[in-house]
Amino acid sequence: MLTCKEQVARSSDFLDGQLTFRERLLMRHHLLFCANCRRFIRQMRLMQATLRILPEPEVSDAQALAERLAAELKRNS
Amino acid sequence: MAAADDAHLLERLLKGEQRAYKELVTTYQSAMRAVAYAIVGQRHADEVVQDAWLSVVRSLARFEGRSSLKTWLLTITANSAKGRYKQNRREVLLDDLPSPHGTIGDERFAAGDGHWLVAPFAWHEDTPEALLTENELRECLEHTLLSLSELQSSVLLLRERQGLELEEICNLLEISLSNVRVLLHRARLKVFATVEHFEETGEC
Repeated sequence: MLTCKEQVARSSDFLDGQLTFRERLLMRHHLLFCANCRRFIRQMRLMQATLRILPEPEVSDAQALAERLAAELKRNS
Repeated sequence: MAAADDAHLLERLLKGEQRAYKELVTTYQSAMRAVAYAIVGQRHADEVVQDAWLSVVRSLARFEGRSSLKTWLLTITANSAKGRYKQNRREVLLDDLPSPHGTIGDERFAAGDGHWLVAPFAWHEDTPEALLTENELRECLEHTLLSLSELQSSVLLLRERQGLELEEICNLLEISLSNVRVLLHRARLKVFATVEHFEETGEC
């Protein structure tokens, strides 16, 4: 049986699909019986989703860069 | 972006449509920057991205759609970064810098049986949108992301924000899968600790 500490150590691999079949079973088994670890994994997923929508810094010079690139294309063709 | 969208955008780019270039830049620049940042560091990342854009335009007509446009752009960026700074390319740094709110470390678990000593705190919100309505948390997260090593933060952003597969990250950055896994895991635990701290105390 996996300990909570081991569960946390393997959590990223679990979320990224990097565990072997057997390791995945061990993980699922642990999660079935451990509410704290279920909460941990659920909140890890929530953290991932939060990073996904965290606004990115805007590209400040997008317009100028787009103009330069379009001009570069013309020069090359 | 799906292949059909790529093809359509490409067509407009080849016609020299300026709006298409703006779309290209705003869609992909931050992913390109993350790749450059990982390879050459913050100081040279912008130069590398500029170089990469020029190479992209020059070879646009040769893009055959064998990979997605995004993968192609990121490969060009990685090559431009590696080519330019081959001499001083750094070793893969697995350095773990301290983060403002720490991590989920050994001290959270009992030494004997490995159970939680301090259980994960239950967050108040259960959607990312609800979490991010707190502006302070946003700033707090930015702060934590800046505290990560260049490689750690790039790997995290390429995975979570850009949705790249682990193998793609390995190939672009020329680091092993096991290193990518370590970098990613450490970065995630620090970000987790930041959200947890904020949810628990209401402050950054």
